[in-house]
Amino acid sequence: MSTSIKPQPQGRVGWATWATFIIAALFVWSLWAIEFSPARMIQVPGQLAEQLSFFYPVDMAYGWDAVLPAIVESIQIAWMGTLIAAVLSLPLALLGARTLFPRVARFVKLISATARAFPEILLAIYFVPIVGLGPFAGALAIGISSVGMLTKLGSEVVESIDFGPVEAVEASGGSRWLALRYAVMPQVLPELAAHWLFRFELNIRASAVLGVVGAGGVGGVLLNTLRYGHLDKAAAVLILTIIVVLIIDMISGEIRHRIIRG
Amino acid sequence: MAIPAKPPRNWWLWGGAGGFLLAMTVWSAHGIGFSLNELFCNMGMGSRLLNESFPPDFAFLPRLFGPFMETLYIAIIGTVVGGILAIPIAVLAARNLSLGKLVWFADRNFMNILRTLPDLFWAMLFAAAVGFGPVAGALALSVFTIAVISKLWSESLEAIDMGLPEAVRAAGGSWLQMVKFGALPQALSQYVSYTLYAFELNVRSSMVLGLVGAGGIGMILETQRANFEYERVTMIILAVLVAVLIIEQISESIRKRLA
Repeated sequence: MSTSIKPQPQGRVGWATWATFIIAALFVWSLWAIEFSPARMIQVPGQLAEQLSFFYPVDMAYGWDAVLPAIVESIQIAWMGTLIAAVLSLPLALLGARTLFPRVARFVKLISATARAFPEILLAIYFVPIVGLGPFAGALAIGISSVGMLTKLGSEVVESIDFGPVEAVEASGGSRWLALRYAVMPQVLPELAAHWLFRFELNIRASAVLGVVGAGGVGGVLLNTLRYGHLDKAAAVLILTIIVVLIIDMISGEIRHRIIRG
Repeated sequence: MAIPAKPPRNWWLWGGAGGFLLAMTVWSAHGIGFSLNELFCNMGMGSRLLNESFPPDFAFLPRLFGPFMETLYIAIIGTVVGGILAIPIAVLAARNLSLGKLVWFADRNFMNILRTLPDLFWAMLFAAAVGFGPVAGALALSVFTIAVISKLWSESLEAIDMGLPEAVRAAGGSWLQMVKFGALPQALSQYVSYTLYAFELNVRSSMVLGLVGAGGIGMILETQRANFEYERVTMIILAVLVAVLIIEQISESIRKRLA
């Protein structure tokens, strides 16, 4: 026989089939549990279309007067939050590198993993009663919640460095401190800066929602416009947020690429 | 041996960047009323709050079970619906598979716009449109999942080996057959991995969706927070944290096995 086709395995149900079946069952069960009946499902597109029709005409006067200042505040919250996180995470990233501090690293990593599980909005719930309603609470919440991720990414960067310069400094009698300053920092700083910028992009989105718990920014404005049914004003919030976030993403992304390429 | 000369520094660039960073920081700090003074003066408030928050109200724990399950349902529905809808969006956003430049460009921009809005914005919008409750949360997470998966997966699709899809085309297969038999199988494991990742994100964000009335455990959190029942708030947050960590561990171990 010149051409032979491999026999397909028969009579065995593969794991993919099982997984699909289980997921489908979970899905249907979930729909049933939240009472998302077919009748309700048919309603939804109509409701969405009706609400969308109220978006027009967009109340841009409100956009310039009330929304833009709130977006600016969100940007300021994100900036200060990222700055707090960068300052706090720098020493932690060094301590969390297995190659430099084998004993402490495990502990630091555990803490940073726990910190990452916290959505910033839950932290804001605690900071609002402490420093009062407003953007300062938001900046603190964003800062603390970003430390976890920046520590993790940072220590991975530190672990990936070339160890030659470190050994060179130590071989010529330099202390551990001098090795960090002259051999480790110059290697890791560009990549760390890129991670900080990336986190800044994420924090813009995070700070936008903090207004929901009274921690400043554009989220509170959106919640109020929707609560009172001013959909034309809500549309202004959405349009301005999308434009500003797109612009910041573009600028920040461009800078990150330049930093990484050197 | 001569020491190699230090490369000259571009002082304009460094000065400009440093000045910009400083200006941004001063402007932001001023804008949000940042003061360490205020933070330390309010340490008393903080310790009072901690006193009120601890010990957490463990008697409250049984009442969390129902809302917690609702949170999981929302996350599951959001992941499944979003995961399925993300497939065509990701395929059309992959430069090598898309149907022409125009479709690629439109889909890519659509994807980017979806990504700019945070999950809670979607939740607020859907809660306003279809009413408070878990349905709004499930819809919001569906959109959020599409944004996450389609972005990541379109990049994996762009990196596949184009030999196979071209072979399907050459054998007379249609575009759909090319995608189905030539492209998707190559990036299947990434798809599963990104979907699990989206599920982790969804579990985490479905915990807070209730803050804007989109169902789940966040709705209880919002009422307790509004009444300043911080013992209960702490209980809820601890329960959420443990649940999120457990689900992440499971999901991560599956993802590692796939990789």
